[in-house]
Amino acid sequence: MTAPPLVEAVGLAKRYPVLGHRGDRVSALWDVVRGRRPRRVVSVLEGVDFEVHAGQSLAIIGENGAGKSTLLKLVTGVLTPSEGHVRTRGTVGALLELGAGFHPELSGRDNVRLSAALHGMDAATLAAKMPEIEAFADIGGYLDEPVKHYSSGMVVRLGFAVVAAVRPALLITDEVLAVGDEGFQRKCIRWLDDYLAGGGTLLLVSHSLYHVQKLCRRALWLHEGRVAAVGDVFEVSQRYLAAQEARQKGEAVAPPSVAARPEYSVESVTVNGVAGEGAVVVAAGDRVVQDVVLCSRDGRAPVMLNGWVRADGTPVYGVSSEMDGVPAQALGGGRFRYRLCFDALSLLPGSYRLRASALDAEGLRLFDTLDREVSVTGQAREYGLVRLPHRWLGADE
Amino acid sequence: MVPATRAVFRELLRRELEERYRGSLLGAAWLLLLPLLQLAVLAWVFGHLMPARAHGGELPYAAFLALGLWPWNLFANAANRGVTALTDNAALIGKVAVPHSLYVDARVAASVAVDLAGFALVLAVLLASGVALSLPGLPAAAAALAVVGVHALAAARLLAVLQVFLRDIATVIGQLLVLGFFLTPILYDRSLLPAAAAKWLAVNPLVVPVETVRGALSGQGADWPALAASLAVAAALLLLANGFLRRARSHLEDFL
Repeated sequence: MTAPPLVEAVGLAKRYPVLGHRGDRVSALWDVVRGRRPRRVVSVLEGVDFEVHAGQSLAIIGENGAGKSTLLKLVTGVLTPSEGHVRTRGTVGALLELGAGFHPELSGRDNVRLSAALHGMDAATLAAKMPEIEAFADIGGYLDEPVKHYSSGMVVRLGFAVVAAVRPALLITDEVLAVGDEGFQRKCIRWLDDYLAGGGTLLLVSHSLYHVQKLCRRALWLHEGRVAAVGDVFEVSQRYLAAQEARQKGEAVAPPSVAARPEYSVESVTVNGVAGEGAVVVAAGDRVVQDVVLCSRDGRAPVMLNGWVRADGTPVYGVSSEMDGVPAQALGGGRFRYRLCFDALSLLPGSYRLRASALDAEGLRLFDTLDREVSVTGQAREYGLVRLPHRWLGADE
Repeated sequence: MVPATRAVFRELLRRELEERYRGSLLGAAWLLLLPLLQLAVLAWVFGHLMPARAHGGELPYAAFLALGLWPWNLFANAANRGVTALTDNAALIGKVAVPHSLYVDARVAASVAVDLAGFALVLAVLLASGVALSLPGLPAAAAALAVVGVHALAAARLLAVLQVFLRDIATVIGQLLVLGFFLTPILYDRSLLPAAAAKWLAVNPLVVPVETVRGALSGQGADWPALAASLAVAAALLLLANGFLRRARSHLEDFL
């Protein structure tokens, strides 16, 4: 390693005192006065080690209550670890539960000033950046209104605008992408893309594995306060997903309903020349051509995401046009076409859903999905979903 | 995170000041109006309603009262507001890493600034209305006020941390300050008390600085050793408060 890591955590542990009864506070105070550790504690994190190097964004994934937010708070220094230590280098910007920390009675402008100071920006720099912040937040005259009159989306806009202006070396975010309207989310994602391309580093908590894989190179999976896995983002997130599916087996998953036509939508999916929405029958080992037409309201070419899903919901395989760097074929009028061919389908016989999704032009947000049922026919005595290329070795090999 | 501490302090201070009269019709004008109003009430009550004279002094009773009341209020208001400085900022403390004492200090600074401005205004009005204040006593009075300020800071820091653990503190403090008001020679002159009581009263470290402010401005010399002793107590309290803050640092967020 040439440069020291931006974040270095060693043996981090966080235990919260139990405060069930009235007397607990008194005894906790007494412990503090005497400089002793609290006696009754709940352990949230135990023995967490990790490093974040410049340019190697790290995602923290895990179920609710796994300790992800606590970990971020330890890194930002808001919380003090019960054991171990965490060191950060360079400027750190944090968006924890976005916009919180704004004072409801004060105007947006006053809050921006406080927030900028908290991010280490001095008055002169802030004065120079104020127009940029105003433009990014784009909340118009509300900037001079008390924050308590804001919608939650406006609070988010303002919070993100401040961080965008600060442009820290390390950005710590907690589910930022889950809030704000579509337009603003896209703006945030474009900014994040640009920030990462410019050498920024992200420490991200998200339940959206898509964002995790898109924005980060490494992932840390927290399970019940301990590190279950850390390493390459795809490897870790797949292990996480597998564990999740094992847990949720049997739970029915309702398909997402599309109320209004979204920004990017799937117009039609034709499979082997069969249009409509009905099931398609193909023989195992045959050629399958998925012919997809996507619509874009803003005229930019959407990214297409293909997916094979077993009838019970088990994902089999997925690939996007952005991963393979394939451009859309413009049909005019905001319509775009992708054609994807599987020359020799290696799926084993059974019922599958062939999925086509429309993503925004950056390939970050999923807007619409259309499934076609595909029955793969044939005879096979093998187990599983896919026939893997294989051969048996002879005695002399 | 390395916040620009000075800028954060300035913003917190601005916030404290703006918050105070936010939404009121007269806004910042209250800063001037309130002390004048208080002084007018004192002058009317003790000048007309129940005329009183300060014991042995040259000052009208209202002026005597004012010279004790504002220094006391400097302490009482700062302590009373400072108690909840950490609990009121819980949302912010949970999101950004800033030295906790900054929240308390900003609140104390705002409170002290307002009360100092009020006191200056009151002194000006007293002078203008012909009360014979001793201007050469100003430096001694300022020194005594500074001692009161250190007491206020120490009390606020200590109480704010305690309040995080025990929310009863703020309730109790209101009453304790009322008691403290009567145990400090504001309404009366200590020389009027029986000798034994007067001696015991000096246990209250605020007695000397409050008396010094009034004494210096009415032409008496300051009791410097006694003032230094009070300062020593204040400094010790401040050290204690800082030690307590440091020790509680890693636990505060858990209780907010």
